[in-house]
Amino acid sequence: MPELGNLALAIALILAVYSIVANIYGARRNAPDFVVSARHAIWSMCAMVTIAVVVLWVALLRSDFSLEYVAAYSSTTLPTVYKITALWGGQQGSLLFWTWLLAIFTSIAAFQNRRRNPEIAPYALAVLAGVAIFFLLMLNFVTRPFDLLATIPAEGSDLNPLLQNYWMAIHPPSLYTGYVSASVPFAFGAAALITGKLDDGWIRSTRRWAIFSWFFLTLGNLFGARWAYEVLGWGGYWAWDPVENAAFMPWLVMTAYLHSVMIQERKDMLKVWNLSLIGLAFGLTLFGTFITRSGVISSVHSFTQSGLGPYFLSFLIVVTLAYAALLIFRSKQLRSPATFESYLSREAAFLFNNLMLVGIAFAVFWGTVFPVLSEAVRGVKITVGPPFFNRVNGPLALALVFLTGIGPLIAWRRTTADNLVRSFTTPVAIGVATGIVAAAAGLRQWYVLTAFSLAAFVMGTVLVEFRRGMNARRHMVGEPRARALVNLVAKNNRRYGGYVIHVGMIVAFIGIVGSSFFRAEVKKSVHEGDSFTIGSYTLRYLGLSELDTPHLASATARVEVLRPDGREITMMSPAKLFFKQPQQPATQVAIRSTPLSDLYIVLAGIDDSGQTVTFEVFLTPLVFWLWAGGLLMVLGTVIVMWPNVRERAAIATVLSRSSAATRELGDVAAPGGD
Amino acid sequence: MNIRPRFFIGAGLIILAIGYLIGNAMRTTSEYYLTVTEVAARQSELGGQALRVAGRVKPGTVDWDPNTLTLKFEVVPIPDVDAGAAPVKPVVATDPVSFRVVSAGEPKPDMFAPGRDVIVEGKLGAGGVITATQVMTSCASKYKPKQPQ
Repeated sequence: MPELGNLALAIALILAVYSIVANIYGARRNAPDFVVSARHAIWSMCAMVTIAVVVLWVALLRSDFSLEYVAAYSSTTLPTVYKITALWGGQQGSLLFWTWLLAIFTSIAAFQNRRRNPEIAPYALAVLAGVAIFFLLMLNFVTRPFDLLATIPAEGSDLNPLLQNYWMAIHPPSLYTGYVSASVPFAFGAAALITGKLDDGWIRSTRRWAIFSWFFLTLGNLFGARWAYEVLGWGGYWAWDPVENAAFMPWLVMTAYLHSVMIQERKDMLKVWNLSLIGLAFGLTLFGTFITRSGVISSVHSFTQSGLGPYFLSFLIVVTLAYAALLIFRSKQLRSPATFESYLSREAAFLFNNLMLVGIAFAVFWGTVFPVLSEAVRGVKITVGPPFFNRVNGPLALALVFLTGIGPLIAWRRTTADNLVRSFTTPVAIGVATGIVAAAAGLRQWYVLTAFSLAAFVMGTVLVEFRRGMNARRHMVGEPRARALVNLVAKNNRRYGGYVIHVGMIVAFIGIVGSSFFRAEVKKSVHEGDSFTIGSYTLRYLGLSELDTPHLASATARVEVLRPDGREITMMSPAKLFFKQPQQPATQVAIRSTPLSDLYIVLAGIDDSGQTVTFEVFLTPLVFWLWAGGLLMVLGTVIVMWPNVRERAAIATVLSRSSAATRELGDVAAPGGD
Repeated sequence: MNIRPRFFIGAGLIILAIGYLIGNAMRTTSEYYLTVTEVAARQSELGGQALRVAGRVKPGTVDWDPNTLTLKFEVVPIPDVDAGAAPVKPVVATDPVSFRVVSAGEPKPDMFAPGRDVIVEGKLGAGGVITATQVMTSCASKYKPKQPQ
């Protein structure tokens, strides 16, 4: 079986090379047969990688410890679901999984473009195959998933218990999906540069891919945060660790890209900027893999370090230089006749939003690589911790929130004072009122007051937009309110879905601010029957129950949670687990989540006699909002991605012409758009 | 791309502001990231400074009091894997350089164990004792240290 996996990977590599040659030859010599043949090669490559993945999955499920990978990341006692997720639990497997996703996405892109984009698609597919070649070279020669062990162990080393968690089962695939799908718009951008077909055809053809990628990057980050919150037991969800930053930076740049392409679609501006952003987003996905796999930057999550770092760095440098050279080569053709006319315009708001997002990405990058830079320059490693990131990104986040409110309401080109007053009076009033109420309620930190006011202001702008659109439909079409609202969203899904995403973002932002500023913490050693308080809760420790199985032993504390009036609210059971093979303790946090605050109990210590236990308890306000905001973002993205007949027609129009002269897309009907 | 000069002024101001935020935050939040060996070499100049120290927990020195959440142990240098052909150096019990670490009020990390690699955040005090604000363990995705092939 392992031979089959190796063989499949070798054939996949050959097919990838062939598909590049055939695509480029076919496109240059105008030989469609070769382009078709290249497409078939891509599909066959995907089939080969699929075979390799299946072989590894079968080996994991059958606990075939003759494979080094299976012995290292699985065991006979591992639950089946984690045997499946062990595919991406280790380095070789995760690279294989990555390659598989890339092969699938490339195949889908090949299918979508079998009749579309005849000029740029062959080159885009060649670029994707080029990326696949890099990963296949790694899998064939550097970090081989099907290497055998000389002596077959009786039992595997098992998957790290911290990773045996459902969030960890879905976090890596989400993140990888987000990472890998960013290659599709990147490849089309590169193909536009190679062919010189620099209209916005490449952007429109890959818009869904970009949103898809952004969506999974969002999910990946949220799942990772949720996992950290539930599993790591420190009461927080984000620590600005290099590995987290590596996932966050592409998200920021992708967010910037999704906004700035709207300006190109609408105004034919910012071509260089958009091409640079997608190049940057793709580069950051490679960079993320590089820093997590190379060990260059020490992280709390140190993955298996290996000789993979230099390869990724070389590939990253080659890609960056080639792409930059293409941009410079085409720079004359990328000039745009249109200009920015006024600061008070949507273009300007989007441009500043882009600067903020890229600025945050740069600050995160700077803080992440600074230890390496300082060591190279000054000979001593200097690190910056979470305070650095919070201090820089806190104010930038406020500016970004402000622009989230401005951008959608302000007119393209220029805005009149009258228009400003009409659009922003209600939102500003809502924002100011929120600030006053918050201050009256006793909030004093300027940051929190500003953040909550701005958040309310943005909510106000979205409210105004929905009301306006709804009223317009009521008057023009004569629909009742509810139906008008539904049709408004259905007929302008891209626009109103975007607003829902904004609301989700703001809700998440409120959660982040609340949980960062108002977290309370209590540590207490107690005997059975003792009680202590945190916030308005009283916690009473009722005792320990122990359990012993062949797989693990556990000690679970029973904690009664009481309200001030002494009534019991709930029972909570934080626990300590001891995995036996290999020996490894793990903490099981107990969380009681409500929209106002989360009660989070960690069983931090049990003394040897078992008489005294120590709890660490966190009361974190509003953290619930972060996850709720995430759900809203999911909902908004689904609305945005919903198939839209008019948009398809518009894409067809654009693609059928050689020039992209049409600028009629997106927000129609609703007033305030123009 | 054709942006009017006054947009360059606006964009420039924003970039300057971001640069200022970064520079300012760097000054107030940066800390040394050192290995145990480096701390030993520069001990005199590091007193009272915020540090991050990477080291290995010396077996036999761990003292954990679950009632007060006080964790005491010694850190020793992490043996250099790249340097030699010897795959795993035997336990470093005889290593000359070590620092006592005292961490109070924080739960013991699950992955903390003798012989594991840790990052200690804290201050170096008199007598070579590091008062830790945080002890972080590597959450390795794999248990057995694996050498690059």
